[in-house]
Parts: sequence; C-alpha cells; structure tokens
Amino acid sequence: MTREVIVIGGGVNGLVTAAYLAKAGIPVQVLEARGTPGGLAGTEEVMPGFRSDVAGLDAGWLLPDIADHLKLGAAGLELVVPEASVFSPQPDGRALTLWTDPTRTAEEIARFSAEDARRWPAFTAQLARFARVLEAVYAVTPPRIPDARGRDFATLLGLGRRLRGLGRREMVEFLRVAAMSVAEWLDDWFATDALKGAVGAGGVTRILQGPRSAGTAFVLLHHHVGRPAGAVRSAQLVKGGLGALARALTDVAKGFGAEIRTSAPVREIVVRDGRTIGVALETGEHIAARRVVSSADPRRTMCGLVPAAHLDPEFVRAINNIRYRGAVATVHLALGELPHFTSRPADGALRAAITVAPSLDYLERAYDDAKYGGVSRQPFLEARIPTLLDPSLAPPRQHLMTVQVQYAPYHLRGGVWDAAARERLADSVVASLGNYAPNLHTSVLARHVVTPKDLEERFGLTEGHPYHGEMTLDQIVFMRPVAGWARYRTPIKGLFLCGAGTHPGGGLAGAPGRNAAHELLLKEGRR
Amino acid sequence: MAQTWDAIIIGGGHNGLVTAAYLARAGRRVLVLERRYRVGGAAVSEEIYPGFKFSVFSYVVSLLRPEIIRDLDLPRHGLEILPLESTVTPMDNGDYLAVWGDPDKTRREIYRHSPRDAEAMVEFGRLMHHMAQAVKPILGMIPPDPTSLSPRDLLGLLKLGRHFRSLGPEHVHALYKLMTMSSADYLDEWYETDVLKATKSASGIIGTFLGPRSPGTAYVLLHHYMGEIDGSFRAWGFAKGGTGAISESIAGAARRFGVEIRTDAPVTRVLLKRGRAMGVVLENGEELRARTVVSSLDPHRTFLELVGEPELPEDFVSDIRRYKFRGSSGKVNLALDELPNFTCMPGVGPHLRGAISVSPSVDYLERAYDDAKYGEFSRHPYMDVIIPSMIDPHMAPPGKHVMSIFVQYAPYNITGGWTDAKREAFGDTVVDTLARYAPNLKQAILHRQVITPADIERITGLTEGNIFQGELALHQLFFLRPAPRWAKYRTPIRRLYQCGSGTHPGGGIMGASGRLAALRILGDGR
Repeated sequence: MTREVIVIGGGVNGLVTAAYLAKAGIPVQVLEARGTPGGLAGTEEVMPGFRSDVAGLDAGWLLPDIADHLKLGAAGLELVVPEASVFSPQPDGRALTLWTDPTRTAEEIARFSAEDARRWPAFTAQLARFARVLEAVYAVTPPRIPDARGRDFATLLGLGRRLRGLGRREMVEFLRVAAMSVAEWLDDWFATDALKGAVGAGGVTRILQGPRSAGTAFVLLHHHVGRPAGAVRSAQLVKGGLGALARALTDVAKGFGAEIRTSAPVREIVVRDGRTIGVALETGEHIAARRVVSSADPRRTMCGLVPAAHLDPEFVRAINNIRYRGAVATVHLALGELPHFTSRPADGALRAAITVAPSLDYLERAYDDAKYGGVSRQPFLEARIPTLLDPSLAPPRQHLMTVQVQYAPYHLRGGVWDAAARERLADSVVASLGNYAPNLHTSVLARHVVTPKDLEERFGLTEGHPYHGEMTLDQIVFMRPVAGWARYRTPIKGLFLCGAGTHPGGGLAGAPGRNAAHELLLKEGRR
Repeated sequence: MAQTWDAIIIGGGHNGLVTAAYLARAGRRVLVLERRYRVGGAAVSEEIYPGFKFSVFSYVVSLLRPEIIRDLDLPRHGLEILPLESTVTPMDNGDYLAVWGDPDKTRREIYRHSPRDAEAMVEFGRLMHHMAQAVKPILGMIPPDPTSLSPRDLLGLLKLGRHFRSLGPEHVHALYKLMTMSSADYLDEWYETDVLKATKSASGIIGTFLGPRSPGTAYVLLHHYMGEIDGSFRAWGFAKGGTGAISESIAGAARRFGVEIRTDAPVTRVLLKRGRAMGVVLENGEELRARTVVSSLDPHRTFLELVGEPELPEDFVSDIRRYKFRGSSGKVNLALDELPNFTCMPGVGPHLRGAISVSPSVDYLERAYDDAKYGEFSRHPYMDVIIPSMIDPHMAPPGKHVMSIFVQYAPYNITGGWTDAKREAFGDTVVDTLARYAPNLKQAILHRQVITPADIERITGLTEGNIFQGELALHQLFFLRPAPRWAKYRTPIRRLYQCGSGTHPGGGIMGASGRLAALRILGDGR
C-alpha cells in the first residue's frame, strides 16, 4: 500500500502539518521516534516527583490563527499570558518588572528614569508595528528572490503594501532597525542599563551573538510576532506544560483522521530516480508513500536521512553551512521553597521570566566567553517557576524552577559536556540567582542539567538548537533553510520540509508546519 | 559686493576636489575652501621629520574609480599608482602566510598550509570577482528612495530590480550573505587555515567598530575587494609621492578646469536666507556668495555645525545625531634608520614591498576588538604595515625608510579620554607588538608619529576620527547614508548639497561620492 503523505517527526510542527493536511482530507501518517509525540514539547519527570518541560520553558508563541484554525481550545488547550513578562533583579538591590500593560511598565521604569518611562509607550508601539509587518511576512511562503515568478509577484506586492502602510518614515525605520544590533536600537531609545538589559536579552535569545551584533534587533522583533501590542517580551505558557500542547495537537490531528505512530524512528528516506518513494524505519520496515514531509532539521533530513548519492554536492555544502550552534542549556531546580528575592517583587512578578541581564554590557561579556568556546562565567539567565501556574508539577509546597542558561555553547573549546561541566554550570546558576534570592542556596533539593549536547542526543536536534538553525539575517525568509530552497520543497521530488529550520523559523510554534502544509495543499490543488 | 560663484565647495579633501573638478568641467565657476594649509583632507603627504615624507593618514589606494581617473585625466596631473605586490602575515610559530601578486605563487604558498584552501581560493576569488561586478553598478548609482513614489525613484528601483534579476539567484543570494554575515562566518564556509581567514577578515574590520565575528563585516570585506587598478580586482596600490599625490593630481585637474582653490580658509557656517543656502561665512568674517553650496565634510560637521539645528527639520536632526561614527583606527608613522628584519622572512626581499599584516588568528583580531568594546585600545592590535620608501624611494633619504602602520582598535571614546600619555602608551604597544616579529625595529626608529582617532578628528576634522565619515554598517549604507530621504546628495536646505564619504557609497579614496554629487547637482540644473 502506498500512503499519500508521511510526516517524519511528531513535534509541534510535524503535528501541525499533519493536522492541516488531514483537515483538508489528505490521509497522513506521522512517524515519531520517541514513545510519545511532542518532540521538545514534552513534559517529563526530570527529577523524582518534579515534572517539567525538558528542553526549556516554551515552544515559542503559538499564533492565534493556528489555534483557531485547528480549534485547539476545544481540544483542551489552555494558554496563559502572565501579567508580568520580565522580572529583572539588579545588582543594586532593586528590580525592574516589565508588565504586559505598558502603563504599568512605564510607572515601573520611572523609578529608574523618567525620560525612559516617557519614551516607553512609543517604543512598544513601534515594536508592535514592526512585528505586525513581520507577521505578514511570516504568513506566506517566501517569494523567490530575485527570480520571482507566478504568485511571488502577488506576495511581494502584498508585502510591499504592508510595508508602505507603515508610512514613509516608519517604513525606512523598519528596514534600518532590522539590520541593526539590538544595543544600537535600544541606545537610540533609552538610557537605563537595567531596561536595556532586560529588553535587549530578547535580541540574543538562542543565538550565538551578543547584543552589539548586527541583526539582533531583528531577533527581538521576531520574538514579538503575534504577541499583544504594548507588551514587551511577554510569554505564552501552556497550562499543564508543553506536553498539553502536544496532546491537544495529537488529538486534533487524529480527529481529522491523521494516523500517529510512535516508537517508529526513521532510518532513511528512500529515493528512486530523484523522487522519494517512502521511508525505511530503523527496524528495516519499508513504508511506501507518495510524499514525505520531514519536520526534522534540514541537516538531519538532507544529510542524515537522504542518502548522499541523491544530492548535488553544492546543495549538501549549503546545508552543511547552516549555522546551528546551540547556545542554551537548561538547569532544572527542585526547590523546597520559593526563592525570596531581596528586591521584594510585586504580586505576580515571579510568574514572569526571572531574568538576569542587568545591562547590555553584561550580555555582551557573557557572549565574549562563548566566542572563544567557553561557557559564560556570568551567564544570561531566564528562570521560570512553572509550579506557580500549575502546582501539580511538584510535590505539595515544593517548587520547580527551570533556568535557561546562555551562553552554554554546544561546541566547547578544550572541553566536553561531562558531569563536571554540568555541575559547574548548575553551580554558577545557583550562585548567580542566589545573589538576588539568598535562600536559593539552601532550598535546592535536586538539579537536572540539559545541555545542547543532550538535546542533540535525545531529540535529534543538530548541535542542540531547538530552532533548527540560528535566526540570523542570513538564515531567514528566502534564505531559510538555504538559498533557493525556502519554499518547503527540496531537490528530491516529493520530499518536503516543515520544521523550524524552514521559514518563519523557531520560536513560533507550528508556523513553519502551517506554511508547509499550505504549500503542499497548493501543490495538490486543494487550496 | 564680492563676486558670486556658481558653486562653493567646503573642504578640499579628495571628494570635494572631485566634485569641484566635475562641476568646473561642465563650465561652472567653482571655489574650493580648505581649512588647512594644503588640500587633501585625510589624503595628504607631509614631511613630518626632515627628509621623510609620510602619507600621514590614508596610505593605500585601490578604490579610486577608474572613470574619475579617466574623466579628469589624472595621470597627466601626476597620478602614478605603484602596485603593492604582496601581503605577508607573520605567524606566532615563526612561520608566515604570504599572498603574492603572482596567483600561481600564491596557490603554492596556500597549498603549503592547506591543499583544500588552495583549491577553495580559486573559486572564492571567482565569486568575489562576480560580487564586485555585481556591486559596481550600485556604487555608481544615485540611491533611489524606496519610500518615494516619484517617477525618478520608481525608475531607479526598477533599474535596481532589473540589475538583481540579471545577476541571477545564485549571485544575489551570495551577495545577500555577504551583506548580512560576519567575515569570520563567511570565510569559515570557504577556508580552514586560521591565519588565512584572519588575514582576509582583517580587511572586513578596517575602519569599523566591529570584530571579525560581527555580522556586517563580510560586506566591508567586499568593499575592500572592489579595488580596481588597471582593471584587476583586489589590487592595492601606493601612489607615487604618497597619498597626497592623489589629492594634488585631482586638484591639478580641477585647476585646469578653472577651479579656484583657497587654503587656510576655514568655513564657520553656511549662509542661509529663508531656508536657502546663499554662500558661506569664513572664520575671518568674510562672506562668500554662491548659487550652490556643497559640503564635503561629514554629516555632523555639515548639518550640526555649519548649518545648525534650528534651521533643520527635527526628524532630520535626530537622524543625523544617531548616525554613527565611532572612530576605531589609529596610525603610527615611523622614520627608520634601517629596514625591519622580520624573523619569519629574514633579510631584504619582495615582502618588504608589500603589506605586512599583523593578524595571526581570527581570535587575535576578535580579542583586539574586545578591548576596544570596553573602552581601551587593543593590547594586541591588528596592524597593516607598509614601507612606502621600498616602493617609492623618494619618500625617504637614501638608505633610510618610512613605515606606515595602520592600527586597530583605538576607540575614539577611550576610557578617560585620549591624553598625551595614553597616545604614547598606544604607540609603545604598537611598536612592541610589531617588534615581536621584527626585533630590530625599536633601535631603527629615528622618529615616531602616533595618531589617535582624537588626533584624526583634530587635524582633519573627521568626526570621532572615523576614516569613512561614518561607519560602513548595513544600516548606514545606500539609501540610508547619511539619513533616509536625504541620501541623494541633496539636503533639507535648498541649494546646499553634500558630497563627502558620509554619502553613498562612502569610504576609502574612492571619489564616487564626489562624482555622484556633481552629477546630481548638474542634473538639477544648478
């Protein structure tokens, strides 16, 4: 039996693609290597009695149109946007909290600088405007540039209009900012180190660059696509952890008729005469299919699953040149009690991302270490306490804290990610946070470290990068995953990509999967 | 009432002189006003020490547009460019990496370090050649404003679109990568030899406040590949008589077309009447009138000093204010009693007629940048060293030599500010670092001139000592240089134009800004 479509990988993007295809009436089978679908979106018992999202805090932002389209709410998905976005304790004992409400945030900023507080609303408005332009770019299959043809012209025209809609001055401003470093952009606006550190941290999220590197202003914009206007660095959390998102997506996909097979690792994408005819599993089983859609990252798909003989060496070279460079580790801390921050956070502030990034220089120095292959001695931290939202993740009265640590590069120079390196990392996290919440030192019951290396080994993520490749200017839109192949297709006929390694990239749960499904449906003439 | 000029050019640097020459060539009566005692701006040769002539600031040439050389017949006015034959990078293990004028010799040398890189070099060279060809027409075009719907701008955009289409996807994508990547990442895609990547990426950091791992530097790398001498790409040269000879030759051409040049004539402000430029006021109070005023000074000087904020739209002022200079380079000029003897290549050889690059590894350059990032000059700086007297013996007395050392990074905003003591410490660092590779250097020094970005600013007037009149960062190029909507040599002040490196395409002794400004002025019927 030849199947219509096989989706490799049951992570968020794979499931979204499957759900969209199944909804359109196409029979689809998802093959997931692990025992449960979800990929990175999995909630596991990381330490006895403590459950957590293994790879970190969030799968990124789920765009409302995907949630609506797939009716994820009806499937039990509950999304929570905490009122506090960022809680950033400062070395001087104060703390800066960014709220989703810009007025409240401005009041907060006024304690540091009246002038910055005055500028805050205008900044958030510009950020939101620019993010909306990106949102339009992200909703479409990237047009071919410069060899535009067919519907590319309509796409380009639409995007051009969108850009013009900003007005003359803001349009240029958008182009200018997109090319800048987040430090320069923020320096244009603000004077307060605490504020620039807290906001600028969003410009280096999961990229091996510092805030002074060009292109980091774009990263900040990227992480505001789809988010509520006025809120800066807000988060969308899934009640019950990311596992709940995976469950909802699985249920919805199944409901539309998709078949989801777990514990079915794919060994090879079978190619004959330049066209895929199906996949071979690790067990040796062959599954014939007309089309294969891979949600694995581009390098793993093209250089791991497709036999090399079928590919042009230039294409392989381009795939191998994609920069992954995982830079973030996660430290899970089991806590006997909540941390007491000396800066006395306001009610609800600890539901934010507790951020250690007191200045742009702090972030830059953290990056300096990583440039030479070291772990940041003073890392940029982003901690969450998911038990504040869902106490069931830990034993009664106990808490769980997940801390994203950047920079913890995949490629360590003159070292490996061994037990000692992990312990050192956990020590430095506890020490750093302990500066602001002294009781942390004694309240840690257990620690669990997940390095980029672990992500690669456990989830098949090349170099441990959850975004399947850095979101840098040379690796986005028509360049993602590689130039000339940004339309979810590959040089192998019938083989498509739908993971975060494709446009619009990582941090936007399901957006690449949705776009890939659209492209496939167009090809099928079903849309 | 004094006479009225068709055009007054403020500043006698190479761009100002090019504009003047082109305008005069078209029959305009032109006056150039230069603040210093001689023309040239940052392209001057001066005898700082008796018998020794230095290209005090800018020291090599490759970007000077061939059409300018042709149009102004510069060779007739004394321009002669002598090729720099090689680049040699001494390595810390006593070895070296050399790139010679002869491609076969270079290939053999690179092969010694890595056969793979020797192979890659051929393809890389070909791609860079294509990229430079792709960018050339853009350098020669007045940037269209993408926000404008005027027929002229739309036509410009259409032309640009056609140009990109004609290049084909492969080259456009390669160009896009060059525009957005760091030179280190870009070179990683091609090469494996660290010292080779370092030496190549060094040209990506010149004049910027960025390290080789900073995105955007790959473009600057290309900027330095675009040099063109006698049609051969990536050929750097040295002007006979020093860099000042270039300025003198352009001034000569300008004079032949009837341009009057006044030195020691500092302009203090642009004379305005009802928002229009009427002429200029000199420091001595003298008022000079002109139908058109053109400033070759950088955007800060032109708008914030000569025009003044109250005369300008608020948005424009804030755009000019945030335009980044961030000077990052210094210069050390040495008069030498004898030639330096490099340990890696002892004795006198062809390597002394080329450039010596102190760029042993990418990390070395990056660490040099780290120091500057936090407000110090590099403890181990990048240096580009040439010995002009080996190419043009008239630069020094017989048997003696001059050495020109371009140094990075020396931040303009150094912690505590630049003092005499700090300048000397900087000079010591430079000499000490170089002496590690050529131990006889210290005893050979007869005279030392150390130039910090603060000195560059003081002497030439370049804001923050930035040698390009503003960083060549992605967000300060093309239609954004120096400010959106005003990247076409015009200014918000009617009859006032700009023609310096702070306009597209900017940077280096290229003259393209000066030429395009002149074309725009003539096109406006002025």
